[in-house]
Amino acid sequence: MKKLYSNKWVIFSLVLPGVLVFLFAILAPICLSVYYGFTDYSGMGEAHVIGFKNYQDLFHDSAFGRSLLNSLLLAIGFICIQHPLAIIVAAVLDKLQGRAEGIFRCIYFIPNVISVAVIAYLWKFIYNPDFGLLNNLLKAFGFQGQVNWLSQQNAIWSVLLVLIWHGFGWGMLIYYTGIKNIDPVLYEAASIDGAGWWTTFFRITLPLMKPVIQVNVTMAIISALKQMETVYLLTNGGPSNSTQFAANYLYQQAFKAFKYGYGNAIGVIFIIICIAATIVLQTIFRDKKEA
Amino acid sequence: MKENGRKVSKVILWIILILVAVIQLFPLIWLVDFSLGSSNEMFTNGLLIIPEKIRWDNYVTAFVDGNFLHYLRNSFLINTLAVVLVVIISIMAGYACQRMRWKLNNFVKTLLLLGMMIPIHATLLPNYKIYNTLNLTDTIWALLIPYVAFSLPQGMFLMTGFIESIPRELEEAAVMDGCGIYRIVFQIITPLLKPSIATVAIMTFLNNWNEFIMASTYLSSPKWKTLPFSVLEFTGEYSSNYAVQFAVMALTAAPAVIVYIILNKHITKGVAMGAVKG
Repeated sequence: MKKLYSNKWVIFSLVLPGVLVFLFAILAPICLSVYYGFTDYSGMGEAHVIGFKNYQDLFHDSAFGRSLLNSLLLAIGFICIQHPLAIIVAAVLDKLQGRAEGIFRCIYFIPNVISVAVIAYLWKFIYNPDFGLLNNLLKAFGFQGQVNWLSQQNAIWSVLLVLIWHGFGWGMLIYYTGIKNIDPVLYEAASIDGAGWWTTFFRITLPLMKPVIQVNVTMAIISALKQMETVYLLTNGGPSNSTQFAANYLYQQAFKAFKYGYGNAIGVIFIIICIAATIVLQTIFRDKKEA
Repeated sequence: MKENGRKVSKVILWIILILVAVIQLFPLIWLVDFSLGSSNEMFTNGLLIIPEKIRWDNYVTAFVDGNFLHYLRNSFLINTLAVVLVVIISIMAGYACQRMRWKLNNFVKTLLLLGMMIPIHATLLPNYKIYNTLNLTDTIWALLIPYVAFSLPQGMFLMTGFIESIPRELEEAAVMDGCGIYRIVFQIITPLLKPSIATVAIMTFLNNWNEFIMASTYLSSPKWKTLPFSVLEFTGEYSSNYAVQFAVMALTAAPAVIVYIILNKHITKGVAMGAVKG
């Protein structure tokens, strides 16, 4: 038995495909990025090693700073708007019995299965000043004049709105599952004691949901950092970088501005930030659990 | 009095649920509505339009000129292959790390799970360079390799969790009967992993079905392009014909939405399982 389970060749053959995929698709590109991050490579011609110059430039690059700020705004938007709504809707949905519960749950999740390509273009039309849904909606409420939703002042909020809308179902579903896992006996006991809906929600649902909330908050922050696709199609970071995000910025720098080396330097910093954020969040939440 | 209060709170409950449903769904209803009219009808002050004549020909144009079938076939093929590979590789590696006895098992497991922290988009630039050098751009591999690579960590994570919960006695009995490791993995363990295989498959599908940024970076010809490109390549061509653009968006969204509505219960379960554990 023991011999069978420590056969090196068998182990090797089982792990090999996974390790190969990791080496080829994740580790090798990261190493390459580190190398190109130290060069002035434009995408064509020769690459010259220029030391830490890209990183020094990056440090003073206001567009990159704006990207991180936007990620922070998005994370705050997720945590302060999307998640509270999602928890409340999940708790309300949990109280509903029968067919309606399944139907609502299904509806809320639908935007999540639709391609970002469709979502981004659809919202471009929704924000359209001439025939867009949003301006027509304002008109229906008697508001005159056109709002330019994608102007420099408004664009970032418009982008946040799309992202909060699109991801709502996902967050809701996870909270909903968490609530479903709460022992119904607790609710019965509360209702015997005469507790109302709000009391039950704040005293039982929320405290018991703490681990789920922590997982969800972690995921929200990470996904706010990693945001790219929607922004890429909706505004491509503009006008003048006001809706820039790190992933979109490095892509632009490499393929549009032909600063491939600089783009890779952004990539390296971006990876470090993502890993650091994951570790920090996990540490914070783990400590709290033990305390 | 209390009866009344209960009724009021029930009404509020329903209002909240319906309001959120409207917010989530109305943009999509708007999309379908406008896709059935003509472009001129869009310049209205109302929220929705009642088309004078329902224009199914918008969809015919979208279907034909959007290359819908070709892209759908590519999406289906690439995603299915990615799911199969992720499931097989994660079961193999998961079993080796969880059950087999060797020194580096924890190291390899951590290494493979590390992929979860790496942002996909940071690998776009170097991967483009690598695939270009190896002449892999514009081949199916340029999509398949990164799709598998970035779904594997989550698959690994879920599989190791489930393999851990399988009682060892089953395998011990199999070993007594002279079973080799490969047969244990594929004939005894794999069938027991059915629920987690479903979860991994659903998560992998959801992750990759709508992906387009890697596809648009690594592919240049339409040969292997996937469904999102119906929309992406169409808008330029028909920039002034809004109604047809709406039709192509609705059409592109349709397969995933229909499959989701049919399999809604399983997908919900899968996502919940995958996300809560992940």
